Amino acid sequence: MSQGPKSQSLIQNTKCECGHQNPVGTVLCEACGKPLTEEAEAQPILEMRYDGVARRSQKANPGLIDRVWNFFSSVKVAIYLILITLIGSSLGTIFPQESTFLNIDGSVYYKQEYGTIGHIYYLLGLSNTYTSWWFVLLLIMIGASLVICSLDRVLPLYKALSRQRIPKHMSFLTRQKVVYQGAVEEDGAAWVERVKPVIRKKGYRVRTDGGTLLAEKQRFSRWGPYILHIGLIVFLLAVLARNLPGLHMDEHMAFPEGEPVHIKNTSYYLMNDGFEVEFYTEDDLPNEFKGRGKVLPKRFETQAILYRCDANCDNPAAEPELVEVTRHNIEVNKPLNYEGLKAYQFDYDLTPILRSVSPVLINRKTGEEYGKIELSIGDPVKEYEAGEYRLTLREYYQDFGLGDNGEPVNLSSRPNAPAYLFQIEGPDLPGEGIRYFYFPKQVDKERFQQDAINAQLAGGEVLFDLDVQGMEDVDFAASTTYLNIRVDKAMPFIWVGAFIGMVGLVMGFYFHHRRIWLRIDEGTLTLGAHTNKNWFGLRREVSAILKQMGIDVDEKSLDNNRGSQS
Amino acid sequence: MGKSKKSVQVVILLAIVLIGIYAVATVVFGSDGVPKEGERAPDFQLLGMDGEVHTMSQYDGKARVINFWGTYCPPCVREMPALQAQWEKWRSQGVEIIGINVGENNMTVENFVAKTGVEFPILRDPKREAVKTFGVGPMPTTFFVTASGKINHIRIGELDLSTLDKQIEQLVNAK
Repeated sequence: MSQGPKSQSLIQNTKCECGHQNPVGTVLCEACGKPLTEEAEAQPILEMRYDGVARRSQKANPGLIDRVWNFFSSVKVAIYLILITLIGSSLGTIFPQESTFLNIDGSVYYKQEYGTIGHIYYLLGLSNTYTSWWFVLLLIMIGASLVICSLDRVLPLYKALSRQRIPKHMSFLTRQKVVYQGAVEEDGAAWVERVKPVIRKKGYRVRTDGGTLLAEKQRFSRWGPYILHIGLIVFLLAVLARNLPGLHMDEHMAFPEGEPVHIKNTSYYLMNDGFEVEFYTEDDLPNEFKGRGKVLPKRFETQAILYRCDANCDNPAAEPELVEVTRHNIEVNKPLNYEGLKAYQFDYDLTPILRSVSPVLINRKTGEEYGKIELSIGDPVKEYEAGEYRLTLREYYQDFGLGDNGEPVNLSSRPNAPAYLFQIEGPDLPGEGIRYFYFPKQVDKERFQQDAINAQLAGGEVLFDLDVQGMEDVDFAASTTYLNIRVDKAMPFIWVGAFIGMVGLVMGFYFHHRRIWLRIDEGTLTLGAHTNKNWFGLRREVSAILKQMGIDVDEKSLDNNRGSQS
Repeated sequence: MGKSKKSVQVVILLAIVLIGIYAVATVVFGSDGVPKEGERAPDFQLLGMDGEVHTMSQYDGKARVINFWGTYCPPCVREMPALQAQWEKWRSQGVEIIGINVGENNMTVENFVAKTGVEFPILRDPKREAVKTFGVGPMPTTFFVTASGKINHIRIGELDLSTLDKQIEQLVNAK
C-alpha cells in the first residue's frame, strides 16, 4: 500500500508501526496496543474501553442499514430510550389502569372519579398505558438497542481478547494505570521464567514470549454484561409471547356450588364442592368498626375439584365426560395450581340459587298425597307423574312477570321467580284436565296470588296443592364463589430470563478481569497492569509478586502519576 | 466489513422489525378479543331447536344474519316477525337467518317459537358461550356475516322490516 502525503487527510491511516492493519475506528493497535489516534496519543493514561478496538458500527461511508444499526448501537440512544420508557410507565401510575377493573366504561369512569383531569387522562390513552402502541414500540426499541449494542461491542471485544499478542508497545505499558519500571540484573527470558510460577500462584493464566509476559485472570467477567443482556432479551420476548393465544389467561369466573363449570379455552372444568366463610365476631372487630353492624369475613374457602374433560367436550347435545384430576381447598393466597392453571379466591356471594324442587301433589280437600315430582329450575322436562295423575308442563318462566299487555313473560334469564303452568289430568277431572300454576318460592306464591290464579283456572275451586314438605326436597346452590383463573405459560421463560440476567450480573459484579503485561528490554523491566474494578486489589497483587521477586515497591508508588502533579 | 456481516445485520434488523410489528399489532388490534366489523366472524357450536348441533362453518358460503335474542327482551320479541318475513324473502337467494337464544331453557324457547310462528333456525346458548365469543352486550344484537365469513355489519338494537331488508341487500352485494 502506497500512500501519498495528501491521502493522509482523507483516509485515516490505520496501519500501526508494528505492521498490523487495523480497522477504521481503532484506538489502540489490535496487535501491540500502541495508541493510534491523536486523542489516545495525548492521554496520560490509556482509555482501555473495549480494549481500544473499533466497534462494529464504526465504519467509513455508512449506508441506510448501517445508519439504522448505528442509531441503535449507541449507548446514549439506549439511555434516552430507557429514560423515556421510565417517564412513560410512571404516567401509567397516576390513575388506576382500565385493566385493573372488571367492568367499567372508561369514557365515564375517569371523568366521574377524577374530574376533567381524569377525562383528559383517559382521552390521551393513558388509562391503557402498558398496552398502548407507543409503549410497546419503546420496549421493542429498547430490545433492539440491547441486541445491537451488545453485538456491536461483544464481537470485536471477543476477537480482541482471544487474539491478544504477548509483546506490547512500550507506550501501551507505560500508560496503564498500574505501572512499574525498574532495573533487573539477569537475562530477560530467565527472569520471565522465574516470575511465571509466582504469578500463576495468584490464579493467573500466564503466557510468555521471550522476554515478554501476559498474565490474565477471570476474563469471563467481561461477558457478564452481555449475558445480562441475553437474559433481558429472553425476558422481553417472554413478555411479548404472552399475547400469543393460549399462553396467557386472566379471567374472573363464577362457580355456583355443586356444578362443574367449563373453563374457557381449556379442557378443564372446575366445581365448587362447598364454600365456607367465617366472619369476625363483634369482639374481634377493631374499635372503629364496632357497633356499626359491619360484617367482615375472617376466612373464606372454596373446596374445589378440577376435572379434565375426556369426551363430548364441545358437543352441546351430550354431557361431557369428566375425570377428576385434582382437588384443593382454595383460600386467599392459597390458590389451586394444576399444571400451570391457577385458581385464586377472589369473591363470594351467599345468595342461594335454586336448582330443583320436589313438591308433592296433594288433594286440597282430603289431604291425600298422590306422589312427588322433581322439577328442575334450569331446564325442566315436559311430563311428570304423581300417582294416578299426569302433569304436563305447558309453560315455564324462570323470572315470572307480566308484560305490557298483561301476558305472562320472562323478565330475565335468571331464575329469580320460577313459575310452572301445568295441565293436570287424572281421575275425577274433566277430560282435557285442569290447569294449575305453581310458584316454588313462598314469596312469589303471595306476590302473584297463586291460589287466586288457580281458582280462576280451575273454574272456582282449587282442587290440588303442590307442596314442598321439607328442606330435603329443595336442591340449591347455597353460595357462589368467584375465582380468578390464571394461566401464564410464558412465566417459566420470564424466570429463565431473570436467572440468566442474574448470572450475568454476578459475573460482571463479583469478578474482575485482571491483566499484567511485562517486558524486559536490556535490563529494564516495564510492567503494566489493568483491571476494570478494584484497582487496590490489583496493585496489592502486583506489589506482592514483585516482592517475591526481590523488588520491594510500595503499593501506592505503582499508581501511574504521569501527567498529574502529585 | 465482509458480506456475511452485512447479511447478519440485515437478518437481525428484519427480525426486530417483524417482532415489533407483531407486538404493536397485537396490542392495537387484538386487545379485547371482541370481533369487530370487517373481521372474521367467530365460530360457535350450539344445540338447535331441531335437536341437532349447529356450527358457524356449516353455513359457510351463505350470507348469514345472526340475531341474539331472549324472550325476556321486549325489542327482541318485537323484531321477530320482521326477521321471519325477511327469512321468507331471502332464503331462496342463499341468505340464512339464525336466531341464537341467550340463557333460556328448552321449554321457554319451544313455547315462544310455537306461539310466534318463527320458522328460521333457532339455536340455544344456555351457558352464554357464543355471547362471550361474539362479545354481545345489550340485546338484541344482530351480526350480518358475508358468505365468506366476514362481519359486514353489527347492529345493536331493534330492527324494523325496511332497515333489515336494506341491510340484507347490502350484505348479499358485499359477497
